[in-house]
Amino acid sequence: MAVLEEPIKGVPLVKNYINGEWVESKGEVKDVVNPAKYETIGKVPISTREEIDAAVKAAQEAFPDWRRTTPVARARYVFRLKQLLEEHFEEVSRVQTQEHGKTIDESRGETRRGTENVEVACGIPTLQMGYNLEDIATGIDEYLIRNPLGVFGIIGPFNFPFMIPLWSAPYAVATGNCVIVKPSSEDPFSQLKIAELVEEAGFPPGVWNVVNGGRVVVTGMLEHPGIQGIAFVGSTPTAKYIYQKCGETGKRVIAQGGAKNFIVIMPDCNVNATIASLMTSFFGNTGQRCLSGANLLIVGDDGFYKSFMERVADSVSKIVIGYGLDESVQMGPLRDVEKKQRVLGYIDSGIKAGARLMLDGRKFKIRGDYPDTCFLGPSIFEKVTSDMKIAREEIFGPVMSVMRAKNLDEAIDMVNDCDFGNGNAIFTADGKSAREFQYRVVSGNIGINIGIVAPMAFFPFSGMKDSFFGILHTQGKEAVRFFTESKVVIQRWF
Amino acid sequence: MGGNDMKLQTASSVISFARELEGESAGFYEALAEKFAEAKDSFLAFAQENKKYVTQVERAYYGVISDAIEGCFAFDLEAGDYALDTKLAEGAGYADALSQAVKMEEVLVRFYTVAAEQSQALMADVPRAFMLIVRKRNERLAKLKSL
Repeated sequence: MAVLEEPIKGVPLVKNYINGEWVESKGEVKDVVNPAKYETIGKVPISTREEIDAAVKAAQEAFPDWRRTTPVARARYVFRLKQLLEEHFEEVSRVQTQEHGKTIDESRGETRRGTENVEVACGIPTLQMGYNLEDIATGIDEYLIRNPLGVFGIIGPFNFPFMIPLWSAPYAVATGNCVIVKPSSEDPFSQLKIAELVEEAGFPPGVWNVVNGGRVVVTGMLEHPGIQGIAFVGSTPTAKYIYQKCGETGKRVIAQGGAKNFIVIMPDCNVNATIASLMTSFFGNTGQRCLSGANLLIVGDDGFYKSFMERVADSVSKIVIGYGLDESVQMGPLRDVEKKQRVLGYIDSGIKAGARLMLDGRKFKIRGDYPDTCFLGPSIFEKVTSDMKIAREEIFGPVMSVMRAKNLDEAIDMVNDCDFGNGNAIFTADGKSAREFQYRVVSGNIGINIGIVAPMAFFPFSGMKDSFFGILHTQGKEAVRFFTESKVVIQRWF
Repeated sequence: MGGNDMKLQTASSVISFARELEGESAGFYEALAEKFAEAKDSFLAFAQENKKYVTQVERAYYGVISDAIEGCFAFDLEAGDYALDTKLAEGAGYADALSQAVKMEEVLVRFYTVAAEQSQALMADVPRAFMLIVRKRNERLAKLKSL
């Protein structure tokens, strides 16, 4: 099958977008690498403290006018952005595949889910409404207004370079705030493209800024008194750190961390549909997502287990690996060599701990002529126990750890024994089992016959335990609450 | 792509394959329209409808594709099973052309039916778009047989 055309040509230098201008950073630059071809496709700056300060200043200066722009007018800017994203849907999807490595289906899915957040934010005149009560006492009325706060920092991860900043940014600006987005320096082109469309949509200078870089930019955001809050998605240790720092500096914070998701299989499940879901759940995005299945927990006797796992292994062994711009490819590479090494370390750890490597992802075939540098095949471990590292830590790669439970009660206990609580799921045809799972499992997102429990834009992206630090979540109404403060007015006229 | 032994497993490859089949089929009807004036309008209308089907399928796909559905694992089709014979034999008459069109439409109906069945629980609105085309194509088959 033909490989789709790549949208990023040459080796462009990524610029910052500050105050409506494309500004070259004075910081060092590093390579942006297409992991499938292992070739440099761009250069990204590691911006300086002065540059993040300049972005904050621009955003602060833009805020008063933007805040006074009516919600209806702000919604129209957001609507123009939504329209432009639709017009550039295929281009931005291919950018994601080229810079991240995911398959084109996955990139298009990411584009759709990101754009849905922009779509939901178009409803801000309704979403931002407060409420009121006439005559709280005779002749006295009380009402609540949701005020924007100022400037927010939005820090995106490498695994969803397009979508994740859109869980926050559209709501922030639609409610009248200004934002500074820091994309992952590993794959900055998606946010660069969004910023180009923001510019084309005509947002006033300073409302939406993009500053590329690393730790200096993040620290600059955390320490800057002009930033009111941070929305972050990344690893659990960093999420914890950001949560603590925001507590110290009095900032609002959404800090989404890592995960170790269990997929519980009951013997009454629809096997065909379940197996297709497991492929997406465990190996979609090459396992690099916080909603990926990690531990496959099978309830049932030996007969069911054996026949189910034979079918799982058969399907997994047929996964087509290659460059995501080839439409026949089902799994792309890991984002970079270090991530591949990390996953290989976990495979070694599983073997040493005594788990049985049923399918060895270290042996794989790539469709097409591409270097194997960042590629890794899917692995399946059997006989995994709860105390093993591969059962407890987030691998963030294409590794399925298979565990067994005697019954649903034991399965739920095993799920709840995990440090994380992000996206756990059950596959069953029995409503009582499903309800019991939903009721008792401590997890922000629960799937019932759904392998990737990705909340739609009009629902919050929840998380519990070490998967989330904060109170309000990204997306939908909760994002609107996060980006606004409640102002209560009590009025009486003499 | 059409006519080879390639497996179609991802949603994007199936959508591209559908686009290709519709294009081949439209080209066939356009050729028939040039050759057989007696049914020119019908053939051109069929070719036009094919373009509409592509739009409908793409709209369904782009509208619902997300990481919560099984885009990369929803299908198991062999492209070679749905190869279309769109080359009209030299000297073929009107009846031969219609017969070839019927066979082509039957292949297309089979393709969309199987694709819809395979992706029923996995691809949200896409199978519905496929089944709509099956319905329309069955109507077309009836019309072809009446020409």
